[in-house]
Amino acid sequence: MSIAIAVGLLTAAAVYLFMQRGMVRIVLGFIMASHAANLLLFAAGNTAFRGVPYIGTSDYGDGGDPLPQAFVLTAIVIAFSITMFMITLAITTTHDDDTENDEESPAKVLGAADADADSMFDPLVTGAMAAGTGGAHASPLSPVHDFEGRDDDSAEAPNADEGTGEHQSRKDVR
Amino acid sequence: MTLMVLLFLTLLLVPAAAAVHKFLGRDTGWFAAAGLTVLGGLSLIWLPEVIAGQTIDEYLPWIPTVDVGIRLRLDGLGMVFLMLVLFIGALVMAYSARYFSVKKKTSDYYIWMLLFVFAMSGMVLADDMILLFVFWEFTTLCSFFLINRSGDRAPGPAQRTLLITMAGGLGLLTAVLWIIVRTETTSLSEALQHQVWAEDAVFTGVVAVLIAFAAFTKSAQFPFHLWLPDAMVAPAPVSAYLHAAAMVKAGIYLLLRFSPVFEGVPVWQTLLIVCGLITALIGALFALQRHDIKEIMAYSTVSQLGFLVAIIGIGTPTAIAAATIHVIAHALFKSSLFMMVGLIEHQTHTRDIRELNGLRGTMPVSFIITVLGCLSMAGIPPLFGFVSKENLLKGFLSAAEDPALFGPGLTWTITVLGVLAALGTFAYCGRIVLGVFTSYTGAGRRDDAKEPMAPMSAREAPLAFYAPALLPAAAGAVLGFVPFLFDGLITASTQASTTSDYEPYFYLYGGLSTDLMLSVIIIGVGLAAVLGRTRLDSLIPRKVLPWTGVGVVEQMRIGSIAFGRRVGDITRTDVHAVHLTAPGIFLVGIFVAGVLNVGEVGEFTAGHTRMTDWVLIGLLALFLLGTVISQSRTAAVVLAGGAGFVVGAWYFALGAVDVGMTQLLVEILTVVVLVLVLRKLPRKFHQVSRSRTAVSAVFAVAFGLAAFVAAYALTNRRGQSPAAQWYLEETYETVGALNTVNSILVDFRALDTFGELTVLGVAGFAILAVLNSAFSTSDSHPAESKVWIGTPLDNAADNTQAMRSVFNWMAPFIVLLSVVLLLRGHYDSGGGFISALVLGGFFALRYLVAPSDSAVKLRFDYALIIVGGIAIGAVVGLAGFLDGAEGSYLRPIVIWEGLPLPWGTEAGFTLTTALIFDVGIYLAVIGAVLVALDRLGQAQRYPAELLKAHMKSQGQRTSQIERIEMHAGEDPGDVPLEAEGEGWHPEPYAGRPKTSRGDES
Repeated sequence: MSIAIAVGLLTAAAVYLFMQRGMVRIVLGFIMASHAANLLLFAAGNTAFRGVPYIGTSDYGDGGDPLPQAFVLTAIVIAFSITMFMITLAITTTHDDDTENDEESPAKVLGAADADADSMFDPLVTGAMAAGTGGAHASPLSPVHDFEGRDDDSAEAPNADEGTGEHQSRKDVR
Repeated sequence: MTLMVLLFLTLLLVPAAAAVHKFLGRDTGWFAAAGLTVLGGLSLIWLPEVIAGQTIDEYLPWIPTVDVGIRLRLDGLGMVFLMLVLFIGALVMAYSARYFSVKKKTSDYYIWMLLFVFAMSGMVLADDMILLFVFWEFTTLCSFFLINRSGDRAPGPAQRTLLITMAGGLGLLTAVLWIIVRTETTSLSEALQHQVWAEDAVFTGVVAVLIAFAAFTKSAQFPFHLWLPDAMVAPAPVSAYLHAAAMVKAGIYLLLRFSPVFEGVPVWQTLLIVCGLITALIGALFALQRHDIKEIMAYSTVSQLGFLVAIIGIGTPTAIAAATIHVIAHALFKSSLFMMVGLIEHQTHTRDIRELNGLRGTMPVSFIITVLGCLSMAGIPPLFGFVSKENLLKGFLSAAEDPALFGPGLTWTITVLGVLAALGTFAYCGRIVLGVFTSYTGAGRRDDAKEPMAPMSAREAPLAFYAPALLPAAAGAVLGFVPFLFDGLITASTQASTTSDYEPYFYLYGGLSTDLMLSVIIIGVGLAAVLGRTRLDSLIPRKVLPWTGVGVVEQMRIGSIAFGRRVGDITRTDVHAVHLTAPGIFLVGIFVAGVLNVGEVGEFTAGHTRMTDWVLIGLLALFLLGTVISQSRTAAVVLAGGAGFVVGAWYFALGAVDVGMTQLLVEILTVVVLVLVLRKLPRKFHQVSRSRTAVSAVFAVAFGLAAFVAAYALTNRRGQSPAAQWYLEETYETVGALNTVNSILVDFRALDTFGELTVLGVAGFAILAVLNSAFSTSDSHPAESKVWIGTPLDNAADNTQAMRSVFNWMAPFIVLLSVVLLLRGHYDSGGGFISALVLGGFFALRYLVAPSDSAVKLRFDYALIIVGGIAIGAVVGLAGFLDGAEGSYLRPIVIWEGLPLPWGTEAGFTLTTALIFDVGIYLAVIGAVLVALDRLGQAQRYPAELLKAHMKSQGQRTSQIERIEMHAGEDPGDVPLEAEGEGWHPEPYAGRPKTSRGDES
C-alpha cells in the first residue's frame, strides 16, 4: 500500500508541473512521472518480496522479482536521455523556456520557416510546368548536363548560387 | 554456379564498383560492363536446360516462421528477362563510361545502377511472392534515386514517379498478400497452380485488377503513363536502361508471369486490351507532337509498351509468344535509340529537332544507328523489328481463335486500332530520323520556330562512345535474318506464361498472309505520312486537353503535403492544454472503465508495506512539495533531485541494488546537467495566475488519486509471478550468472536491451542535431555576481582549487570502480549501465571542478563512441548464431571458462559474449552522457554558415564575423567550422525586457 501512496504522490506532482509554464518545470514533471511509472512497475512485481534477487543471496521464496528490476534499470537510463533531449529543446530557438509566449514559440518560428518551403511547390522549379504541356514549350531540358559543354559552369555547380538567387528574387517580387 | 551465386555476384558488383571507382572514375563503366557481361555469359550455361523445358529451383530459408524464403526459379520467361537485364545493362554501363564528363561525380550513379541490376535480376528470378514484392519495390527505389540525382529540377519528377510507382507497389502487395492467404503458400509457382483461381471468380477478378494496376504503373500505361516522359530529366543512360529496356519491362514481366491464371478472365483481358490500345495510340500521337527527341522517345516507349500490354491481354499462345519476342526486339532498338539521343545531346548540346540540322554529313555513325533503330521500330523488313511486328499483328488476329470472347468484329477492331498505332510508330520514326539529320523541323503552323544550328557545327563522337549504341542496333539488323535462333527460348518462355504447350517459330518471310498484307499497308500509308509530314504537323493538335497529367499529379502531391501540414497544425503549438487534453480524457476513460469492470481484486500479500516505507513517503512528500511550490529554477531542480534520491533509496529497500545504484547515479548526472543548462535560463519560473494554480492543483490531486487507486487495487495482490520464480531458480543453470537482473539485461532479453541502446544513441544524436541546427540561448549572468567582485568567489580557478585537488586523487579510483563494476556484472551488482554511469560521474566531477568550460572541452568524437557501442552490440549478436541449431541473435556464447578473476562462482569467472555486449552498453551510455555534458555544458560554438544565415535573417551585417577558420581534426566534437569574432553572441531579441541580462548594460 505504501508504494501506491508514493505512486499517487509522484503522479500528482507530475501533473501539477505539467500544467505550469516553462519547459524546465515540464521536464521536472516528466522526471516525476517516470519515477511514478518505475515504482508502479516494481509494485507489479509485488513488493512483499524484497530480497536481493541474486542466486544464493536471499532465502528461498524471499527474492524480489528480477524482471521489473531489469525493466526499470533500462527505463531509468532512457528517461535520462529523453530528459537531456527535452532540456536541449528548452534552451534552443528562443530566449527562455517559456511555452506560452505565442510570439516566440518555437512552433511559430519553425512554422514560419516551413511556410517558406512552399516555394518548392513552384511549378517552374519542380518542372511540372515544363513537362507535358504540349507544343513548343514542352522541352524538359535538364538544366544540368552530365557532360562538358556550353553550360559547363552551371554543370559544375548545379545547386550553389543559382538556386538561392532565383529563390530570393521571387521572394522580392512577393 | 547456382542462381544464389549469380544473384550474390550481381550484388557484389556494387561494392566492387564503388571500390574501383576510386581509381577509375567514370571508367568504372567499363569494369561494370565487363562484370555484367561475364555474369550474362555464365548464365548462358542454363540456356540448354531452360530450352529443354526444365526449371532451376533453389531455396534458402529467410523468415521460416511465415514460410517466406529466398526461393529462386529460372524458367524460360525468367531467362528472357535475365538476359535483357544483364546484357543491356552491360551495354549501358559501357556507354556511361564516356557519356559522363570526367569531372562529373559518378560514384553514386554506378552504385544505384548496379543495385538496380541486382534488384531486377532478383525480381525475375524470385519464386517467392514476398521476395518478388521486395525486389519490385527495390527497382522503384533505385529509379527514384537515379532520377533524383540529376540536377535541380529532378526532385519534382523523381517524387511524382515514386508516388505513382509506389501506389502500384501497394497494389502488388495487396494482391500478393491475398494470394498467400488464399493459396496458403508464398511460392509463386505453387500459388499459380492452385485451384482457387478456377473456383473463386471474385478473388481471381480482384487480383487480376490489382496485378494489372501494379503493372500499369510500372510500365507507364494509360492513365499512369505520365511519369515516364516526366522521368526524362534523368541522364540518357538511365533513360536507356531503366525507362526503356529494363524497369518498365518489369510490369510486362509481371503480366506475363501471372498470365496463365488469368486466361479467359474477362476483366483482365478487357483492362489490358483497352488500356494497352489507348496507351499505344496516345503514345504515338504525343510522340508526333513533340520536338524534343528524348520526349519523342519517351512517348514512343509508352506506345510500344501499350502494344505489349494489349497483346498480353489477348492471351492466346500466339499473342504471348509475340509479346515475348517484341520485348526482346524493343529492348534492342530502344536502348540503342536512347543511347543515340545521349550521343546527339552530348555532341550538339540540344535535343530539339527544330535546332538539330543536317547531322547526316557530320555524324554518319549516329545516323546509321538511328536509321537502324528506327527501321526496326517501324517494322521494316528485313530487320528484327519487322519480325516482331509481324508477330504482333498475328497475335492481334489470333484473338479470333477464342470465339467465346472475341467475335470477328471485335478481333478486327482491335487489329485495326493496332495497325493505326503502328502507323503512328512509322510516322514518328520518320520524324526522328528526318528531324535530327535533315533540315526538317517538325514544327507545324502553331509551333514556335527556332534558329536551326549550322549544318557543319557538330562532330562525330569517338568510337568508344558510340560503340555501345551501335551494337544493339546492329544486332537488330542481323537478327532479322535469323529469328529462328529464338525459337527454343521463346517456346520455353511462352509455355511458362501460358497453360498451353504451343511451340512458336519465327521467320523473316513466311509467304503471303493477312499480317503481311497489313504490314504492307502500314509501310505504304506510313511512307505517305512521312512524305506529307509538313501537312501532318499542322493537322496534329498540340494541346489535346486543357490540363496535363503531370499537373494533376503535382496537384495531388502538393495537396497531400498540405493536408499533412494541416493535420500537423492541430498540435503545432506549445499551449499545454492542446497536448494534454486528449491523453487526459483517455486516462480518465481508462480509470472509469477500470473502476466499473475490475471486480474482485483479491487480498494483499503479507509484508507488502514495511515501517521504513513511511519514512520514505514522508521525505518524498517534503521534496515533492518543495519542487512544486519553488519559484527558483535552481531550487526546484535540486529538490527534484532529492525526490529522485528518495526513490533510489526505495529501490534499495525493495532489494533492487542495481536499480538503486542506477537511480542514484542518474539523479546526480541529471542534476549536474540541469544546473549547467540553468545558466542559460532566467532565475525564476514564469508567474501564472492564482486561478490557474488552483486548477492545476485540483487536476494534480485528481490524477494522483486515480494513480493511487489503480496502484492500490491492482498490485501486490498475488504471490510471486512464475517468471520471477523461474529466473530465481534457473538463471545459474541456464547462463551461469548469479546477478539475475544483469543476466536478464544481457542474456535473456538482450534484444530488448539492444533496442534501448539504440534509443539512447538516437537521443544523443538528436541532441547533437538540435544544437547543430538551432541556436542555444547564451549564458545569462545572475545579478548577484556583482557582489562577488574582488572576493575569491569571483575567481573560478581559485574557488575550485580544493575540489580539484580531491578530484585528482579520486579520479583513478572512480575509473577503476567503473571497470570493476563492468566486469563483475554477471556475478554481483554492476553491469554496463551502472559502470557507464559511474564513469559519467567521473566526467561530471571533472566538469564541476574545472575553472571554465573550455578547460574541459572534450577533444574526441563522442558521437563515435555511441556508434561504436551500438555496433559492438550488433556485431556480438551475430556470434549467437554459432551455437548450432539452437543459435539465435544475441545468444550468449561462452568464450573462456575458469578465468582467475576475483569474481564468479567456485568454477571461476566465465567470459561470455554477454560481457562484450555489456561493453557495447557501456560505450553507448557513456557516449550519450558525454553528449549531454559536453554539448549542454559548453557555451555554444556556432557553425559559421548557420551564424551567417541567422545574422542575415536578423538584418545584421555578416561582416561582423572577421574570420572563419576550419579547425579540422582539432575539435571533432563540434562542427569544425567556427566563427571567430569579437565574442559574438546572438543579439537579444528586440523589444524584450532584458531582465536577466541587466547587469551587462
